[in-house]
Amino acid sequence: MIFYNALGQLPEFLQRKRPRFALEDFSARRSFNCAVLLLVLFATLVSSNVCLASTQIGKDIYQKRCSWCHGANGNGDGPAAAYLNPGPRDLTSGVFKWKSTPFDEPMPTDQDLRASIAGHKPATGTLAGLNGTSMPGWSDVLSDDEITSVIDYIKELGGLDPPALPSIELSGMTNPTDAEKARAKELFKDRCSECHGAEGRGDGTKRLKDDWGGRTWPRDLTKPWTFRAGSGVEAIYTRITVGIPGTQMPSFADTRSKKALTEAERWAVADYVASLANADTMPVAGAVARAARIETETPAMPDDPAWSKAAGAAFYLTPQLIADERLFTPTIDSIVVKALYNERDFFMLIEWHDRTKSLPGDSLAASLADGQVYPDGVAVQFPSALPDEDNATLPPFGMGGKEANGAVDIWFWQAQAKPGNNETLRILQASGPQKIKDMDTNASGVTAIGNYDKGVWRVVFKRPLKTQTDGMQFNGRRFITFSLAAWDGSNAERGSKHTLTPWLWMSMTGPPNKSIYFWPAAIGILSFAIIWLIFRNTVRRG
Amino acid sequence: MRLIKYVFLLAVVFAALKVPGVLFAKPLPVSMLQMFFFFSAVVILLAMTATDEGAAGLVQPVISLFIDPSYTISRAVVIIIIPLIAAWITFAAVCDEAAAPPIVRSLHPSPPSAFTAYGRTIEMAGLANPYRAIEKTDEAAFRGLVLEGGKLYFKNCFFCHGAKLDGAGHFSQGLTPLPLPFKGTDTIAQLQESYVFWRIVKGGPGLPHEATPWLSAMPAWEKMMTEDEVWKTTLFIYDYTDNRSRSWAR
Repeated sequence: MIFYNALGQLPEFLQRKRPRFALEDFSARRSFNCAVLLLVLFATLVSSNVCLASTQIGKDIYQKRCSWCHGANGNGDGPAAAYLNPGPRDLTSGVFKWKSTPFDEPMPTDQDLRASIAGHKPATGTLAGLNGTSMPGWSDVLSDDEITSVIDYIKELGGLDPPALPSIELSGMTNPTDAEKARAKELFKDRCSECHGAEGRGDGTKRLKDDWGGRTWPRDLTKPWTFRAGSGVEAIYTRITVGIPGTQMPSFADTRSKKALTEAERWAVADYVASLANADTMPVAGAVARAARIETETPAMPDDPAWSKAAGAAFYLTPQLIADERLFTPTIDSIVVKALYNERDFFMLIEWHDRTKSLPGDSLAASLADGQVYPDGVAVQFPSALPDEDNATLPPFGMGGKEANGAVDIWFWQAQAKPGNNETLRILQASGPQKIKDMDTNASGVTAIGNYDKGVWRVVFKRPLKTQTDGMQFNGRRFITFSLAAWDGSNAERGSKHTLTPWLWMSMTGPPNKSIYFWPAAIGILSFAIIWLIFRNTVRRG
Repeated sequence: MRLIKYVFLLAVVFAALKVPGVLFAKPLPVSMLQMFFFFSAVVILLAMTATDEGAAGLVQPVISLFIDPSYTISRAVVIIIIPLIAAWITFAAVCDEAAAPPIVRSLHPSPPSAFTAYGRTIEMAGLANPYRAIEKTDEAAFRGLVLEGGKLYFKNCFFCHGAKLDGAGHFSQGLTPLPLPFKGTDTIAQLQESYVFWRIVKGGPGLPHEATPWLSAMPAWEKMMTEDEVWKTTLFIYDYTDNRSRSWAR
């Protein structure tokens, strides 16, 4: 039909090409018409059949795999939705956060949807998906064709058309010069720090929400493993250029905005953001904390330079899901431990990123908090009797238990409960969450000092290696068992609502030890002697 | 020369054994490979030293390495490098402080003959999912129960055990030991539903001593789910993963 113009005549260029075609002949034109009509009808039927089949397969897969979070009708209201932060996408809205098409093109490409379903590889850990969310990567379960079917169904749910504009160009990436790097830092401060914080830890001073009414937290840019759609410079550039639809992250390519950046500037800022990644805070499976022996310094303050030399170990924090009031939507996800000791005292620095300094009674804290503000806090837990063997049975990690050797010692530090107050330190001995005893803090010898700076809490605990009380003693063992808990008071965390780690290990490395060279040297000399003996023997006999 | 032939043969076998792992992501267990090559090495040595000639042939390259004047450089290399490598391996082993002490635990500890939950003593023998019978008699009602189980799973379990039932939920990475997967044929497919029921109801705190209790973050669900809900959730995890529970032979 497209061959004909409104008057039922072929366009000129076709007429010229086929001058001998008898268009004036009525019956010939009619049969040509019929043929074209049939062809078009057939093509429509076939293509719609294929489409129907694909969306039906996609719908079946969706109901089995996706509906639990995204809802039976795609509204983002599945049974799990209430327990998730960020919440599952409302697929009927047609708004997709992780897309590569320009800001003025609302539709994502099929490849964008495929990447969100198949999953992105994280900077650490093994869980691919939309990193830092509960959306896993499905490429190990669904074939490429099955994912295509799911995409077809999702496009139907959201009423998506193919995008009119192609994905943004990524070929302009260059290595920024030193001048450009300095400029990017300035631009970051001006354009990004209001939400992402001065050092990029997501500790902005602005309360954010998304188009679905949910609370959103700006990304902590020092933790690339939480970047939803990948943490490469290209991925960061894409977010800066496209924005994140449905959220307050705008496009910095939109020239109507006063905050627009040129392409080169966006690449430089992306490079700067990628450079904020802090490998020291990146949890690694099986990490072990280290307590290093020092001779002179007493690093009792969180900002003591001795701490910058100490090796840190990072661990994931998991919300408390076991007992009493539980936590499902944590805002802090990892914690770093450093430890030092001298002949008298043990020092432990606990460091974690928290977007908010939760000071009850403070107006800024109240404006950023979800609900009532409680003080932030952190706790270290040790078995009251450190076991003598590495594989001995440990107390239950959730505040101990009633059985023999089930008691735990807890050092519980809390930030100011209101402006002008002091931080508090409680020393607890527990044999289960219901059986907690407050101990004499002064007699325990434990002291703690906390400090909040640009999105990081740093708390130093100090205690003599040996005390007169009946609690945990550093008994000279190489491995110390401990665990951690943390509270973000702006996320309504208090009491049993907090994040925690399971039992962790800390090795007390001791002073530089010459004996570690003994066995390698002995083995070396021994094997040399054996080979030499064989050599002498062979030569003598040969 | 025979030795070289054997080594070549073994290399070909090794490559063949590696194919399923490299190409199809279905690797053979390392322990099996180690065992195979240990016995192969023993058999080759036996075969080669069965005759005096063979034994002499085996030792000959070593002897010539040590006395043949044309091997001076190789000789020096062997005498110096091998002890250095041995020393280095020892040094690396001594310096390795990054590993936590190993924890020995049993994955599927044997259950008690009876346990207390929901205010009564439950005998393991004869314990069965009360909804299992409906599967054959009323398909529609059974699908409804599975759906209810799924909703329970996604309100209680999936944070750790995962949306894919692969033990990789969004909170799994912070836990030691890691949550168990249900997909695949080596966990719930090896167990009876009564065992799964016991593990859910009593959780980590209810584990027997040999499973080193208290390291597991699995709650004792008797406090948070009814008996009915646990059985429905069990239906769901078997149904979603296409697994069947073990059952008594008839």
